[in-house]
Amino acid sequence: MAQRAVWLIRHEPGTPLCGTVRFSRRYPTVENRAKVFNGASYVPIPEDGPFLKALFFELRLLDDDKDFVECRDSCTHINKTSIYGLSVGNEELWPVVAFLKNGMVYATVPLVEQTLSPRPSLISISGISQGLELLFGIQDFLYSSQKNDTELNTKLSQLPNLLLQACPFGTLLDANLQNSVDNNNFASVSQPQKQPAWKAGTYKGKPQVSISITEKVKSMQYDKQDIADTWQVVGAVTCKVPVPPILGFYQMKEEEVQLKIKVNLKLHESVKNNFEFCEAHIPFYNRGPITQLEYKVSFGQLEVFREKSLLIWIIGQKFPKSMEISLSGTVTFGAKSHDKQPFDQICIGDTAYVKLHFSILDYTLTGCYADQHSVQVFASGKPKISAHRKLVSSDYYIWNSKAPAPVTYGSLLP
Amino acid sequence: MGPLSREAWAQRLGAFRASPSAFMAGADGEDLGRDLLSDLRSEKLSEQTKVSLLALSLEYPAQLWPDVPAAEAAATSLLDTMVLLPPRPSALRRPLLLAATTVLASGGVLGPTSGASCRLLPLLLGLASGRDVGRGFGPISEQRPLQATACECLRELESCKPGLLGGILGLLRSLLGQKGPIQPLSLLLALALRNTLVVQPRSGASLQGLLMAGVSSTGSGPWDWTLAEEGHSHLQPQAPCWPAAEEGACALAVLEPSPEEVRELRAAVAQLLDTSYLLTPMAQAQLLWLLGWALRGLRGQTPALFKPQLVRLLGTAQLTLLHAVLALKAAFGEALFTAQDEALLLRRLTLAAQHPALPLPTHLFYLHCLLSFPENCPLGPEGEEAAPLLLGPQLCRGLMPSLLHDPMVLLSRLHLLCLLCAEDEEEEKGQVQNPQWYLEELLAGLQQRAALDGGPRVLATLCFQASYLVASCLARQPMMLTPLIQGLTQLYRARPVLAPHFVDLLDRVGPELEEPLRVVLQQEVVSRPGRDEALCWHLQMLAKVAERDAQSATLSFLQAAAAHCANWGLQQTLLRVCRVLLRGGGGPGLADLLQVLARQLEDPDGRDHARLYYILLAHLAGPKLGVALGPSLAAPALTSSLVAENQSFAAALIVQEAPAPIRLSVGPQRATGPLLVLQLQVEALEPVYSLELRFRVEGQLYAPLEAVHVPCLFPGRPAHPLFLPLQPRRPAPAQLEVRALYTTPTGITCHAHLPPLPVNFADLFLPFPRPPEGAQPGFFEGLWDSCLPKGAESRVWCPLGPQGLEALVSRHLEPFVMVAQPPTSYHIAIRLPPNSMLLLRLQSAQVDDGVPVALRTNDWAVLPLAGDYLRGLSVTE
Repeated sequence: MAQRAVWLIRHEPGTPLCGTVRFSRRYPTVENRAKVFNGASYVPIPEDGPFLKALFFELRLLDDDKDFVECRDSCTHINKTSIYGLSVGNEELWPVVAFLKNGMVYATVPLVEQTLSPRPSLISISGISQGLELLFGIQDFLYSSQKNDTELNTKLSQLPNLLLQACPFGTLLDANLQNSVDNNNFASVSQPQKQPAWKAGTYKGKPQVSISITEKVKSMQYDKQDIADTWQVVGAVTCKVPVPPILGFYQMKEEEVQLKIKVNLKLHESVKNNFEFCEAHIPFYNRGPITQLEYKVSFGQLEVFREKSLLIWIIGQKFPKSMEISLSGTVTFGAKSHDKQPFDQICIGDTAYVKLHFSILDYTLTGCYADQHSVQVFASGKPKISAHRKLVSSDYYIWNSKAPAPVTYGSLLP
Repeated sequence: MGPLSREAWAQRLGAFRASPSAFMAGADGEDLGRDLLSDLRSEKLSEQTKVSLLALSLEYPAQLWPDVPAAEAAATSLLDTMVLLPPRPSALRRPLLLAATTVLASGGVLGPTSGASCRLLPLLLGLASGRDVGRGFGPISEQRPLQATACECLRELESCKPGLLGGILGLLRSLLGQKGPIQPLSLLLALALRNTLVVQPRSGASLQGLLMAGVSSTGSGPWDWTLAEEGHSHLQPQAPCWPAAEEGACALAVLEPSPEEVRELRAAVAQLLDTSYLLTPMAQAQLLWLLGWALRGLRGQTPALFKPQLVRLLGTAQLTLLHAVLALKAAFGEALFTAQDEALLLRRLTLAAQHPALPLPTHLFYLHCLLSFPENCPLGPEGEEAAPLLLGPQLCRGLMPSLLHDPMVLLSRLHLLCLLCAEDEEEEKGQVQNPQWYLEELLAGLQQRAALDGGPRVLATLCFQASYLVASCLARQPMMLTPLIQGLTQLYRARPVLAPHFVDLLDRVGPELEEPLRVVLQQEVVSRPGRDEALCWHLQMLAKVAERDAQSATLSFLQAAAAHCANWGLQQTLLRVCRVLLRGGGGPGLADLLQVLARQLEDPDGRDHARLYYILLAHLAGPKLGVALGPSLAAPALTSSLVAENQSFAAALIVQEAPAPIRLSVGPQRATGPLLVLQLQVEALEPVYSLELRFRVEGQLYAPLEAVHVPCLFPGRPAHPLFLPLQPRRPAPAQLEVRALYTTPTGITCHAHLPPLPVNFADLFLPFPRPPEGAQPGFFEGLWDSCLPKGAESRVWCPLGPQGLEALVSRHLEPFVMVAQPPTSYHIAIRLPPNSMLLLRLQSAQVDDGVPVALRTNDWAVLPLAGDYLRGLSVTE
């Protein structure tokens, strides 16, 4: 259960190599074990340059997928996990755990304690989940409270020392690198206390226990006879929702050069009418910038983002007494410029949606809550106990009912 | 050179990291390791810079100190540096310990004869046990972190030399019980325990170490070099990492510790598990993997010790912990997990695989875990992905793929859907939301997206990967394949530019999809007018899907297309299709087409090429044509595709030199006359057809030899002997040169030189025609007298073996005996073509060990040969 090497590579499209290695760390003792365990199937860890090239090719980050390349585009080259085989020289380096997040590629190679041919199943390799946790840990550390490139560079420069603490020999001891930052500043501890060993420093603040319940609600609404609307609440203990919190329909039609749109939303009477925020985003994909807009809203304000071809209907904190609101209008677009907007593969022609973003504090659809008076803590001291609840929209779509829409499994009707 | 500045080091380290191999090959490379060690003691460099230097030695020890003596010296120097540190807090002690450990463990130095090892190990153990290890190890404030680091170092050494710490199990346990840092000690003890249990049955070690609380004072310390010194044998992959229930049982079954040891072992494991909640989730997961592995091989040990932890662990939200629980499940199965536990785990995995708060790689890993779930009672074959039995359709609903998903999620969920459809095959059709119908919809959506003009390649790739997945999971369901084929045909119609993807798909899928898809795609292509913009793709497609028997529709499409093949590339693609048709033997229509092409194509290379094909078609028989065009076309040279093509023909049409496909030897001779015939034994080493053997004799000793023909020979099958008539011009032994000309099963004509065949003097013997009964003595005497005076006479002493004269004659000279008075006297007459003879009188003497032979011949040149022959007889006896 160990990692052979770990990398952070910045994705920089347009540059000759499409990226630069910002951090790498190798573990030679683990590498020695890999050599013995893997036997004839052992493939050594390449240097940073060749690794970057091989990984970016595999992840399709090299700006060159114009032509069909068999070893990448073949129908049998199916990746169903974030674990890849990279061709380095004439050999294949496997397993490489890697993902791209916020322009940074995170990668690590876990040790496999057996031969690699035939390939063992991923679930049987303990280093896979450890590798993922290591990368998530680094990602959390880099992006927690980080605002700009300077701060990112500062954090990157701290990484070698932190990994010396959290992963000295390639075996991850703590995925929370922040703990290692705290450990680094060890104060004098004369008398060891009864506390978790990984927290060498003592905590000075007030003890506090915070319990929060966040529910995420997803929805797909079609306003069609043959397709059922769906919703799903995740994060709750039980699930007994009679309806989605906001019901609606969206109608969009292309008439000559302009689009006619109509959106109706209705808040369900059982739902707490007190939002932290509530917005409806109406994007227009694969079209030029908005040149003209005529509209009418029964409630809230409409913001227009011309260049992004996006309308945002800000509904605010409350629905009106009727609980029902509507928006209608016509939109005209300018010529499409190819390079500015990425191509959307779903919203082609009149296929379009309204996406709702909202959050309601101190509320859950399921009614699930934590009673702070009933929480017992078995520890010395009296921690302050607080409980929170929150309902957050997740993928909440209302599809244009005048055009085809991608169907999800639950929405098929016999 | 004095110590480098901070900047100089930063620059040097940067250059090294950019490419270690290039740096070490450069002028500066050799000194790097030495400079690094000496500058660690420089007072001019800050601690931070020194930590960066140590970081380098942690990562690249093999490059810095490539051999064992260098590594030993480096480790010694690092330990010295540590001793020399002033007794105030320093950031260097931890990295120095780590670096010394790394250099020793990765440099192959660790062992009882290494001075550095013998210094480091007691130091680490002292630090780990919280003892006073003397001056230089810093103020008390640093003791605790150093104690943890020492444990980590010991653990790494134990990982690299399993069994090393087998003798201090008891000490580690007692430390854990007292005041030691829980996490590092727990992990160290668990690893040492696991290694002892895994190593034990192989080398007769015991758990005795667990029973002793202190350090034994025997010899060079508590290190068990005997186990560790067996080199890497304990590191050999003992078993899959995944401790499968039955496998483990047989791998480690021999282990039978004493009751006292078992009691201590259980106590130690319980102790580790009881305090495990204090560890970080990562460390807990490691502990569980290690203990799971340690206990699975113990006969009669129920894994019940884990039971109290499961209550806590089944509900974990930690990826690594859940993974470790799955590993326990794989190791212990029903013995630890009830059916309810299994159902709960599946439900948790299902929800976690779609939980919006979790990142995508985690979703994917959980989906993988679902499809590889270690069930208590698995139904399918081991190692194959399958939907677990308890994972009902209701639970899967949330895991259905949709076009909105990321490609990896979509493929992963699609696989699950396919597995459900495959299971569903037998069950009632047309139920609410049947998965087959949904799968069809999804594929249609993928195909529509792939059909988008100018869409990114990744969409096309996704569509074909999904098609492949469906085709391989549901090959036996024609209900599914029909819409798939229709959809793909439409996709081709919309976007012929995807031809390479189609060719790839056809190459990979089984015949269930390949055959029907090929037929419809061919129809689709040839129904197009020849001047289509996408002609290049149509031709590429046709090269894959064209029927070998050259249908007229294909030929007329090609004829129409030829007029629009304006450039060299297109013409080559067109000719490739012709080549495919040629391989099938072509037909009359094809000959016409090739003639048209040979006249009409604009590019001379293309015309020549077409002419070549025409000539081949006209002159070669079908099977030979197939072979000639068999191997794939070499990459055409830019100037002429014909040159490249010729290279591949050369192999097929030219006779090639090859190693001997048969073994040939001279068999026992049956001297019957009247003509001399050599009998040859032949043995095939590989199948050969139309074998022709050609023989030649140096120096015209014999008349030219006829070739021998054999229709076919196969290895392992008995072959008839071959008869080679010899016409000697002189009665002399010779060497026959042998060459074989034959055809291989692949149709290639080959030529091989065989080892020369010896023709011995005795192979040239023929008997005289037998005179009538009673006339032999007279006939022999007549011959005997005729030899002189032209010929020669000689007397030879022929030594006899134990079996005597009678045996010698019957073995070697039987066919030539003219007058016999067994067992004492024999008259022998041998004809030697063309016109020589050899006459022998053998008369047994009183002495038993030899026989005097009187010989005469009409050809004096035969005399030495006959002498050698007779002397040789006794040797061969």
